[in-house]
Amino acid sequence: MKIIPTLGLLMLTLFSCQKGEVISPNNYTCNFNFENSSQSHPRRSKYQAQLDDMTQHGGVVGVSMVVQDEDGLWLGTSGKADLYNNIDLQPCHITRVGSTVKMYTATLILKLQEEGKLNLDQKIAEHLSGDAIKRIKNAEKATIRQLLQHSSGIYNYIQSAQFQTASINNLIKEWHAEDLLHYAYDKPAYFEPDADIRYSNTNYILLGLLIEKIEGKALYQVFEEKIFQPLQLKQTLFAGKNPVPSNIIRGYIDLYSNLQVIESTYYSGWDYYTADGGLISNPYDMTVFFKALMLGKIITPASLQTMLSWKTPKEQDPEFYPIQYGLGIFRTETPRGVVYFHSGDAIGYYANMFYFPEDGTTVVYAVNSNYGKIDHAVSTKNAIEKILLATKK
Amino acid sequence: MSKTILLLLSFVPLYVYGQKRTPVLINLSFFNEATAIPFTQAFSTPIHPGLQIGTEFNLKSKPSARLFQTANLNYFYHHRLNHGISLYSELGYEQRLQFGPAFSALFGLGYLHTFATAEEFIFQDGQYLNKNDRGNARLLASLAFDVGFYVKKDQSNSPKIFLRYQSWLEYPYSPGFIPLMTHTNLHLGTKIFLTKKNLK
Repeated sequence: MKIIPTLGLLMLTLFSCQKGEVISPNNYTCNFNFENSSQSHPRRSKYQAQLDDMTQHGGVVGVSMVVQDEDGLWLGTSGKADLYNNIDLQPCHITRVGSTVKMYTATLILKLQEEGKLNLDQKIAEHLSGDAIKRIKNAEKATIRQLLQHSSGIYNYIQSAQFQTASINNLIKEWHAEDLLHYAYDKPAYFEPDADIRYSNTNYILLGLLIEKIEGKALYQVFEEKIFQPLQLKQTLFAGKNPVPSNIIRGYIDLYSNLQVIESTYYSGWDYYTADGGLISNPYDMTVFFKALMLGKIITPASLQTMLSWKTPKEQDPEFYPIQYGLGIFRTETPRGVVYFHSGDAIGYYANMFYFPEDGTTVVYAVNSNYGKIDHAVSTKNAIEKILLATKK
Repeated sequence: MSKTILLLLSFVPLYVYGQKRTPVLINLSFFNEATAIPFTQAFSTPIHPGLQIGTEFNLKSKPSARLFQTANLNYFYHHRLNHGISLYSELGYEQRLQFGPAFSALFGLGYLHTFATAEEFIFQDGQYLNKNDRGNARLLASLAFDVGFYVKKDQSNSPKIFLRYQSWLEYPYSPGFIPLMTHTNLHLGTKIFLTKKNLK
């Protein structure tokens, strides 16, 4: 009877812990030249103290932040880019910035309207067909504007419990638009188009398909040609081009809410190939983009005003400030002032970008850890308020 | 971690060798674990292999039906996420047909301990340190249905092969994010009776 010890040995063989990946520090080296006031900025100590508080007390693995205000451009970091290889985080390092890409997507759509290639008040079904339209409730009726503003009522595929468990079941699966849309097929719409506002990633997957259909090329190429290259965003790329670049900082998750993190860098963000996520960048490049957008340097002032046309959902998240929805951008009022913003989540990463129209200040921060207790230091109302107040003059 | 498993496994042969006169019933199965919504799919990929060994005893028994209790040691490996080892017991009901087939339903409760497959870094004194993973304690509840076949249809101690669909809940999972996780296991297993002769 040798089967039991044999099975025991089999189990012990399986029961081995995967060690971290050895990565040379040279791999994280980056060239980064720009006008930098970090060493002379009058509030540099205050900004740095905020970041250090996040890493030393909040359990954040690494945080990078840029503040661009009337006293110049300040960049700072705290914590680690890679725990296993003990690499300090630097401002030039690239990270995942998730749904912040929706602001870029909306910008691109407005740019295509300026080029006469579409009209925001056209139905998306005038450009797209097949299951993406037929099997998604409201997709036949919704306009491009409603998709941009989350007023289409279309079901958010991320809310599907089947999708959530499937994505955990295969953590390194590379999901494509059709795979994700499948989880929105035949699901009831939240409301009739334009009857209310509700955030839905499915809207932006459809907008990504629209961009590819109109331009006849991969999403990431259109973003590169129309936004990244003209603005010289050298640290920005789409995950669809390179899902896990070798120099991307490592991501970590506090899955069990006990500040015991595991690396999640290779866990699929599921939105690498779609326009609802999948952006890789850093706070500096994001600041350049946001500032250029607000100053009318990417789209015309008229298009920008269209983007900043606000609608208010009937229900608000009681744990956050009441927010209004523009086209790929939000507006809210904080103790620091009125702010336009968009946040982004990926597994192991989080980013947030803010623009204060009253004084023209831009604040962007990104972290390489999330979930569990870490979220209390990076993405809750209290955490955001603390970060924003630290940037107040 | 490995020592814990070795210790748990060591009880099984000791128990089996201890029963020299009475045949000992062993349930042994290989299974594929998945995080999935129960009863939405029978089989999923990628395969997360698992192994279960256990025993059972009758609470009430008739030739065509019985109520029984199981005791199981179970291990699974979920690629890139965690290993799990559980000890649990099920209350089962089996209906056996004269020509060999049998159908069962089982409800179980037990303890699960999971360990990350990747290295864990623990936050202490304002920094993350690479320390040994002590794992996470969980409760599990399961509901399973199986279809089996008794090879020797006339014998009460006949070997049986079975295919079992088991859905189970893990609690807590990720507090504040996903409080409860649902899993499914598809088992292919056998029930065998070990006697003194085949224990040697």
